[in-house]
Amino acid sequence: MLTYIVRRVLIGSVTLLLITVVVYALIRHMPGTPLTAAMTEMDPSKKLNPEDYERMRRAYGLDKPWYSAYFVWLGNVLRFDLGQSFAHKQPVTRVIGERLGPTLALSVSSLVLMYLLSIPLGLYSTARSGAPDERAISLLLYMLYSFPTFVAALLLQMTFAQYFDLLPLYHMHDDLEVYQQLSPAGKTWDLFKHALLPTACETYGGLAYYSRFIRANMMEVIRQDYVRTARAKGVGEARVVLVHAFRNTLIPLVTMVGLTLPSLLGGSVIIERIFVWPGIGNLFFDSITARDYPVIMCLTLVFSLLTLAGTLLADVLYAVVDPRVSYS
Amino acid sequence: MMLSLVCRAAVAAVLVASLLLVQVEAAQEESLVAPFDAPKLAEIDARVKWIDQPVLDGLDLLRAKQAKEKPLTTIEQVLRLQNTSATANDQILSALGRLPEAGAQVNWDATMVRHLGGDVKSTNPVMHSSAAEGEFGTLTGFGLFSFDWNFFPFAAKDAVRSWQSSDDHLLDKVVLRDDLRWSDGVPITAHDVEFSFLTIMNPRVPVPAVRSGTDQLRYVKAYDDHTVVFFHKEALATNVWNINFPVIPQHIYKDSIAEDPTLENSPYHVRFEDNPVCGGPYKMVSRTRGVELVVERRDDYYMVDGRQVRPKPYFKRVRFTVLQDPNTTLLSLKKGLVDEAILNPEQWTTQTEGDDFYRTNTKARGLEWVYFYFGWNIKTPFFSDLRVRKAMSYAFDHKEMLDTLCYGLYQPCNGIYHPTAWMAPKTDVPQPYTQDLDRAEDLLNEAGWVDSDGDGTRDRVIDGVTTQFEFSIICNNAPLPIQICTLLKQNLEQIGVLCNVRPMEYTVLQEKEISHEFHAMMGGWGTGTDPDTSDNLWMTGAGRNFVNYSNSKVDKLYEAGRREFDRDKRAKIYAEIDRLIYADQPYTWLYFRSSFYGFNKQLRGYNFSPRGPYGYSPGFNALWKSAEAQ
Repeated sequence: MLTYIVRRVLIGSVTLLLITVVVYALIRHMPGTPLTAAMTEMDPSKKLNPEDYERMRRAYGLDKPWYSAYFVWLGNVLRFDLGQSFAHKQPVTRVIGERLGPTLALSVSSLVLMYLLSIPLGLYSTARSGAPDERAISLLLYMLYSFPTFVAALLLQMTFAQYFDLLPLYHMHDDLEVYQQLSPAGKTWDLFKHALLPTACETYGGLAYYSRFIRANMMEVIRQDYVRTARAKGVGEARVVLVHAFRNTLIPLVTMVGLTLPSLLGGSVIIERIFVWPGIGNLFFDSITARDYPVIMCLTLVFSLLTLAGTLLADVLYAVVDPRVSYS
Repeated sequence: MMLSLVCRAAVAAVLVASLLLVQVEAAQEESLVAPFDAPKLAEIDARVKWIDQPVLDGLDLLRAKQAKEKPLTTIEQVLRLQNTSATANDQILSALGRLPEAGAQVNWDATMVRHLGGDVKSTNPVMHSSAAEGEFGTLTGFGLFSFDWNFFPFAAKDAVRSWQSSDDHLLDKVVLRDDLRWSDGVPITAHDVEFSFLTIMNPRVPVPAVRSGTDQLRYVKAYDDHTVVFFHKEALATNVWNINFPVIPQHIYKDSIAEDPTLENSPYHVRFEDNPVCGGPYKMVSRTRGVELVVERRDDYYMVDGRQVRPKPYFKRVRFTVLQDPNTTLLSLKKGLVDEAILNPEQWTTQTEGDDFYRTNTKARGLEWVYFYFGWNIKTPFFSDLRVRKAMSYAFDHKEMLDTLCYGLYQPCNGIYHPTAWMAPKTDVPQPYTQDLDRAEDLLNEAGWVDSDGDGTRDRVIDGVTTQFEFSIICNNAPLPIQICTLLKQNLEQIGVLCNVRPMEYTVLQEKEISHEFHAMMGGWGTGTDPDTSDNLWMTGAGRNFVNYSNSKVDKLYEAGRREFDRDKRAKIYAEIDRLIYADQPYTWLYFRSSFYGFNKQLRGYNFSPRGPYGYSPGFNALWKSAEAQ
C-alpha cells in the first residue's frame, strides 16, 4: 500500500509539473498581457508612454520568453514564493488567502447539505421506485438539474430579499460596523442568514445530480442475487436497502467524494458575483480577464494539487471500503 | 521502480534548471527627472512677470450658476414624476440638482451608499488607474487643482491660497494654505508636493497611470512649507493639466520607499495601504476587498483650531459597495441598499418604469462626450480608399441603430468632439451620415469594387489577384456591439459586400487593436479634459491610432493647438482638426452615449458634466441628503 502511495505521489508530481508547463505556456500565449487593459482606458488622456510601457514589461517579466519566465516562476515556487499579483499589487498568497475562508464557508456547507439530502432522497427514490411520488421527485430533480444558477439566484433574491424582505440581498455579513458589535451567536446567525441564498443556489444542482447518481447505483445493486437472498431470508426492506444494498453503492460515491475536493476551493463565478461573495471563483475569472499570470498560476497549482490528491484519496478509500481491492 | 527513478530524475533536473535560471533584475534606473538646479525664488520673482490665475471653489461656482436658474418645478412635484421625457429629465435635474439653501436642510448624519462597478485595488492615489479608484481618490485624496463641468481648470480654494503663472508660460507658482492637515494630524506642505512629483517619477515605483502628464514637467520645487513652483519643459497650453497630480504624505513614505518601492509590499506599507493617511475631506475607516470600502468625514478637514475653515462635507459616511452584476445592482437600488447606480439603456427603458423603482428612487440622464464608432483599418486593401470608407458610412442604417437598437436614447455622432463642446466646429458643421445604398454602391463602383464574376459579391484585382470584398469586424462580446455589427453585416450584404462579425473577449480585442491586426473594429472613446488629449488617437503613428490614420495637416494642427494660448484661436484649430478627420472618414461615427443614473429620493445636488455626475468639481461634493426626507 505504502509503495503504491509513494509511486502515485511521484507520478502525481510529474503530472503537476506538466500541468503547470502547459498552463503557463497557454496563458502566456493568450492574446493580451497584464498591461493591455492599462493601455486602453476609454479616456484618451490616460496614455502610457512607450518608455513606461517597456519599464512595466520588464517589471512584470513580460520581456522574457515564456519558458524562461516559467523557470523563474517555478524556481520561486520551489522557494515558497508564489509571486506578486499584477492586478492587486499584493502577494498572491494574501490575495488568495483572503478569499479562502468565504469560499470554503459556502462550498463546505453546500457539500455537506448536498450529501445529507441526496443520500436519503436517493434511497427513498430507490425504495419507492416507479411510484407516483418517486416520479414526481425525479421530475423535480431533473428540472432543478437543468435550471440555470443565475436565474435561480435572481428569483431567490427577488422573492426572499426584495418581496418578502426576509433575507439579505447580498454580502457575507451585515455592514462591518454593525457586524462587529454582534455577539458570537449574533455573528453566526448573521452569517447564516447571508449564506442561505448562495448556499441554496450552489446546492440544488448538485443535489439533483447526486441523488440521481445514488438512485442509479442502487437500482443496479438492488437487482443483485445477494439482495434477493437477503429478502428471501426475510430481512426487512429498510435493512435490505440501507445495509445490504447501500453499503455496496458507497464505492462509486467514495470516488465522487475524492473528485469533489478541488471544487471545494473552486468557488462559483456566477454565485459569487450575484451575491457579492468575496470568493475564489470571482478572483479566478477576474484574473484571467486581467491576465494576472501569478494568480492564475497559483490557483492552477492549487486546483491541480487538489485534483491529484483527490484522485489518490479516492483510490485509497476505494481499498478501504471494498476489501476486494488491494494495492499490495 | 524504473518509473519512480525517472520521476525523481525529472524533478531534480527541473529544480536545478529553474534555480540556475532565476535572475534578478540588476539594472535599475534611478530617476526619470534630469538633474535640475532650481534657481532661487527671489531670482525667479525678479525675472518673470507673474499672472494671477483663478483659485475657486466648485461649490461656489455651482451655487452661482444655480442662482441664475429658476427651478422648473418643486421638489414635491418632481418626486412624483416619472422620467419618461426630456422635459421630465430637465425638471428632475433642475429641482433635485440644487445645492441646499441652508444648513438645516441637510441631513448631516447621513450615510451615502455608492455603487462601484469594480474593486479599488489600491488606496494609494499614485497607484490609481481605474474609474473606481478615481472615485475613491476624489473623496480621500489631496490635490491642488480641479476643473468645473466645462473642464475649465482652476486651483482648488480648499487647498490653495494663490496660483500664478509666469508670462512666458514656463512656470507656475502655487502658495498652499497653512491650515491643511493629513488625517494623522501632520500638516500638508509644499514639500509633500515635491516629494509626490519625485515619487511619481521614480522608475522603481510601478506607477500605472498618473505619470502620464506629470512626466512633461521639468521639475517641481518646494521653496518653503507653502510655496511650490512647477517648472515646465516647454510653453504649452496643455501645461495646466500636467501640474494636477495626486499628493501623498512625505512623512509616511520618505524613509520606506527605498526599501520597498512598490509602496505596497512591506509590512509597513501594507499597514498604510489598509489604513491610508488621507488628505481629502474623508478618511477610510474600513475595507473588505472585493466587497466594500467605507470612508468617514474628517472633522479636522473643515475645522481647524475650533474654527470652520472649509465647507463641511455633506455626508458623515460614504460607503462604496462593489456590485459587478447589473441585475443585483438594480435590485439593491430598488431595495434602497445603494443610493445611486448606473443603469444600462435596457434597465432605463424597461426595468425602472414601475412603482417598485419609483417608490424609493428617481432617475436622471445626462449627455456624455463618449462616442462609438466603426474603425476602418486604412492599411488593409479594403479601406485604404476614402471612397470605400464613405461607402461604408452610407451603407449603414444609422436610423435603425438609433431608434431600435439604442431605444432612441442616443444622438447621432458627427465627429470627434461633441457639438456642445467649445472646440467643436461652429461653422461648416459636419453632418451625420444617413443610409443611402445607391450612393454607397456608386462609391464602391468608382473605387473599382464591382461584381465582375456575377457571384453576388464585389471584387477587385489587387496585385494581380482577384480579391473578394469580404472582411471581418471585431467587437466586444456584449449584446449591443454584436447587434450593431450584425446590422452592418446585413446592410452590406445588400450591396454585395461580405462582413463577418467577430465578437471577442475584451482583452483579446484590445490586443488586436493595439497591434492593428484587424480589418474593421467597433469601439468607443470618452473625453479628456483638453481637446489635445485626442492627439494619441489621430496623430500619425500615435499609440491609440488603431486604424493607422495619417494626415500631415492634422499632425501640424495638433502641434499648433498645444502652442496656442488664446482659447478662441485654439477652438478654431480643433474645429479644423474635427472637419479634416470627419472628411477622411477613418471611422464611421455612430452615436454619443448618455449616462443613465438611478438616485435615491433622499439624494439632492446631482448635476451632470460631459463625464457624468462625478469626476469634476464640485461633482460628488455637491451631493447631499435632505433632512426632511428621512
